[in-house]
Amino acid sequence: MILLYLVSGLFLGWSLGANDASNLFGSAVGSRLVSFRKAAVVASVFVIIGAVVQGSGTTITLGRLGNVNAVGGSFTVALAAAVTVYLMTKFALPVSTTQAIVGAIIGWNIFTGNSTDVKTLSQIVSAWIAGPILGAVFSIVLYIAVRKIKRAFEIHIIRFESYLKTGLIIAGAFAAYSLGANNIANVMGVFIPSFNLSEIQLGFITLSSAQQLFMMGGIAIAAGIITYSKRVMETVGSNIMELSSEAALVVMLAQALVLFLFSSTSFASFLKGIGLPSFPMVPVSSSQVIVGSVIGIGLYRGARNINFRVLGEIGTGWVATPLMAGLTSFFSLFFVKNIFGIEVGWKSSGSVSQTSPLPSSAGESVSSIAQYLLLALFIIGIISAALFFFLEIRKTKELSRSEEKFWKNLK
Amino acid sequence: MAVFTRTTKNLILKIDEFFDNIDLGLLVFREGIKAYLNRDFEAFHRHIEKIESLESNADRLQRSIGNEMITHSILPQHRAEVSTLIDQMDEIIDTIKSSLNEFSIEMPEIPDVLHNDFLNITEASVSAGEELIPAARAYFKAPFTVREKLLRVYYFESEADKLSRSTRRFIFQEMKELDLARKAHLRYIIHHIENISDLAQKAADLLSIMAIKIVL
Repeated sequence: MILLYLVSGLFLGWSLGANDASNLFGSAVGSRLVSFRKAAVVASVFVIIGAVVQGSGTTITLGRLGNVNAVGGSFTVALAAAVTVYLMTKFALPVSTTQAIVGAIIGWNIFTGNSTDVKTLSQIVSAWIAGPILGAVFSIVLYIAVRKIKRAFEIHIIRFESYLKTGLIIAGAFAAYSLGANNIANVMGVFIPSFNLSEIQLGFITLSSAQQLFMMGGIAIAAGIITYSKRVMETVGSNIMELSSEAALVVMLAQALVLFLFSSTSFASFLKGIGLPSFPMVPVSSSQVIVGSVIGIGLYRGARNINFRVLGEIGTGWVATPLMAGLTSFFSLFFVKNIFGIEVGWKSSGSVSQTSPLPSSAGESVSSIAQYLLLALFIIGIISAALFFFLEIRKTKELSRSEEKFWKNLK
Repeated sequence: MAVFTRTTKNLILKIDEFFDNIDLGLLVFREGIKAYLNRDFEAFHRHIEKIESLESNADRLQRSIGNEMITHSILPQHRAEVSTLIDQMDEIIDTIKSSLNEFSIEMPEIPDVLHNDFLNITEASVSAGEELIPAARAYFKAPFTVREKLLRVYYFESEADKLSRSTRRFIFQEMKELDLARKAHLRYIIHHIENISDLAQKAADLLSIMAIKIVL
């Protein structure tokens, strides 16, 4: 039963993997520089690592926006966001998981009579606007740098491309890590106050309750990447403008940097330490950051091939997605509470937040599931690595055999 | 990763070797024509043998480059154009081989008075081909310099064109002592020599567009 509550969050994670995570390697896979299989494996692994290691920063911000204090509420809020994402995608409307979850949380705040922290909300909204702009700025700077390096060193284009391929894998891994760190709050953030799982000890590493939830969310995102993102990856990038291979690398790096800046607590404290203003820990939309990055390159190249309609779509998304998610969340909470009689939350009194964590036996059972998941991940990882290695060796051998045969017959 | 680096290195070496083959082929053609005009048939046949081995090596390299680019998914966005360029450059060495073979089979009688003209047409035509090689090499390393290098190809092609026109005019209007069949034969031979610069120009046109696309 307890796992049923998590299903809505896992579904949201799956759709984030299928849609948003496709942006990670979309430009590389679309330009056929990296195979989908390689991209999916790297993205899945690093999304999970990013979520578990660095997912807490943005979760705290979403918690400040609305501390969903009953597990029924967490389920409904995540479900409302997931349904909004699903419906808007189905009707080809621009949508972002980040904006959907924020709208759904505000819907919960209104329903339960909690006030929405305006300061946090304005921080979140300004990060949404800053994300694509920063993406554009980073991509212009990186694009100029890459081209200058290419020109100054007169690197052979075939060698340059081999560096690019390696760079794309590294940048993709970094982008996946940052996406996991930044966007896991959208998927699992609302469940954190309601779940209190027992810690898992893995040698030197201890997985806290939140980290176990992040891991499950990360696995859901990975499942979305593996099962449903191929088609999206193959079309992304060309929607806005055609991308060259170096532009693909730049877009990926710019996106990774923006997501990292908005999710790294250690970088924020480093900036504070040297007296600079730090970035708020806010989940931003990876799709919108990537659109900003691609447009940045387009602007640098003279803005000839840009489809400017996507800019208007982003603006519409900032308003339409939270509004729709908020309404869906509000009405769903009403039904869940009044028809099914499930507690969805109550007004927090004062500064002390009241939550209704699950009974400890439920927490232990979810923890043991998390342990089994970890074991399964480990085994799948080893089997996949062995299989990949074996297949690569076989492919290389077959190729060289057919090449030899060809020349022998030709002679 | 090590396997991939080796493939990259091998492919770069193969492309370089392919260009070397075309370059050598042009040199052999120039020397072959000189030997024929000087009636040094032993040297001429040696050049034919040399061009045959260069042409077959160029074919082997062309196929191998195409195969490797596809199997290892190298330059996916420019692969088709690079293959076409290599194909068009291979056509140059194919034409050189067939032209020298035409000389060897038909043994055209070239009057002494036309020797210099034939040498000049050969020189201009071969130069057009030779100027294509650095431009093609530059595409891979410094694509922004390709177009300035190609100017020389166009210059020599137009020179070869002019020289061939004036020689043909001289043959048909001034050399009354030659019968029409011989005049037609000489025109045909001139066309063969001039063809090399035409092919170089065709490859240059493609290279010029490729350079713009890769620089953008």
